[in-house]
Amino acid sequence: MIPLAHYLILSGILFSIGLAGVLIRKNIIVVFMCLEMMLTAANVALVAFSRAQGTAGVPVYDAQVLSLFITGIAAAEVAIGLALIVAMFRARRTVESTALNTLKD
Amino acid sequence: MNIVSTYTWCQFTPAFALVGLAALLILADALLPKVPKRAYAFIGAMGCFIASYFLFSGEHTDVFGFIAAVATGLCLLLAFDYTKISCESIAGSGNEEGTGEFYALPLVACAGILCLTQARDLIMLFVSLEVITLTSYVLAGYFRRNQGSIEAGIKYLVLGAMSTGILVYGVAWYFGMVGTFNMGSDVVIAAIKGGVAGSPTLAVGFLMATALLFAGAFFKIGAAPMHVWIPDVYQGAPTPTTTFLAVASKTAGFVVLCSLALPFAPFAIPGSMIGKLIIWCFALVAAATLLIGNLGAMRQTNIKRLLGYSSIGQAGFIMIFFVNLNSPVVYMVSQYLLAYALATIAAFFAVAMVRTQRGSEEIAAFRGLGKSNPRTAFLITVSFASLAGVPLTLGFLVKMYSFVSMIKVMENWCGLAWVLPIMVITAAAGFYYYFKVIRAMYWEKPQAGEKPLQVPLCTGIVLTICALALIYLGTMPLLVLG
Repeated sequence: MIPLAHYLILSGILFSIGLAGVLIRKNIIVVFMCLEMMLTAANVALVAFSRAQGTAGVPVYDAQVLSLFITGIAAAEVAIGLALIVAMFRARRTVESTALNTLKD
Repeated sequence: MNIVSTYTWCQFTPAFALVGLAALLILADALLPKVPKRAYAFIGAMGCFIASYFLFSGEHTDVFGFIAAVATGLCLLLAFDYTKISCESIAGSGNEEGTGEFYALPLVACAGILCLTQARDLIMLFVSLEVITLTSYVLAGYFRRNQGSIEAGIKYLVLGAMSTGILVYGVAWYFGMVGTFNMGSDVVIAAIKGGVAGSPTLAVGFLMATALLFAGAFFKIGAAPMHVWIPDVYQGAPTPTTTFLAVASKTAGFVVLCSLALPFAPFAIPGSMIGKLIIWCFALVAAATLLIGNLGAMRQTNIKRLLGYSSIGQAGFIMIFFVNLNSPVVYMVSQYLLAYALATIAAFFAVAMVRTQRGSEEIAAFRGLGKSNPRTAFLITVSFASLAGVPLTLGFLVKMYSFVSMIKVMENWCGLAWVLPIMVITAAAGFYYYFKVIRAMYWEKPQAGEKPLQVPLCTGIVLTICALALIYLGTMPLLVLG
């Protein structure tokens, strides 16, 4: 039996890697992968908590339902994101975030 | 196993109706190529207005939903007048190919906001929030032949998805700490007083969850430190989308913030340690938002960017209401949002009109309107004066409520006296930058050969209604106080 804390540490690590990647990486496709990782971290935490909060071996299904919703929303987000990246690549011939410099103070 | 639903179907009737209308419009867009696409904008706007009527006159008046639905309808009317630019920036020529969804998607986002106002648990809150943001990403990046629009879309998507990640991680920890997705005072009280098992570690996890949830809500309203996306996205996005983001999407943000913050009201008394912490955090965020929004706006020359910073600044004044959680926050926030929505929508209609006919979104493009279009210039002046808070407009009244609310908090706890000077300075800064537009209209001469602007029908009607409402509600305060 793996204790709850291990799952939470894993999800914390995933979340931190994701957040750091979003802030540090320049390639927008990699940034997207990191965004997905942040959502996955929440999924891991949710499923782990759903087991931990359950009684007599029956998990609290609310949390697992939310994790399904998160998966669906992540997919929609990627679809929109890739469409925008394609549009950006057509316009600028690059997917580096440093090329996003039209709008600034 | 017994499944109990906390919702009834009829709560969501307006939302379903709007989604249905959007689906019909998208179908019509595909199947009826002969119909001019701008007709969809008009039908969508009418749908929103009908929905807003039912929201206002229904059994339980849903004020936030009402503001959001009216704002979405007005955005669609703006899109109706903005067709020329839309066609150029989407299809690349005069034809309307591919512009249909641009008029259908705001309806879906509006349905998301209507679900959000009904949300009583975090699952509903999160999913309807995502309906709004995902639609907004598409709308922000919709002008694919416009570099600024694509850039705004990508910046919004990356930062928005990051805030979603933060919010949903907060939701996960909230569930882990309290064992339910419900957002009620009883849940919060149990968690802060030691959690389910009474151990102190639970409270720490709960505080982390709350911080993450509030970070997500602050992103939507553009409160510091999550305001970074606002100027860029507002400037780059198509003007109808910017209007939607500035008014409807911001209303959604305040709905989230209200439902997250109000359960903490029993604790937000300056007597206790945790009460001081809550009050102080809200005061700090509000002050930082005020400073960043209002001081950042001062050096802008692009009007959409200026309105972006202005929306951050106005959000700061609304945040002040949350410092005093035991006052009627929802009522105050909805009043302020109403004043802000009326003035901002009028301002964006003016921006779109100037952009269509003079081809520029700089403040300088407003030059000489006082001479060439005196009546329109007056209506625009009223809306900017209301944003600045000139007496006799609704903007002055609601800004005064904000000051009064802050002074009431200070009576109980003098340690917050530093917020008041910040509010005074930022309100004064507001006068400076909003009057830049008014100065351009009245004190600068039109360039040689510039014709007076042709005021399109919808723009004329909306500008008049907004300006009249601002003055009427501003001079008859009892009507608003009700």
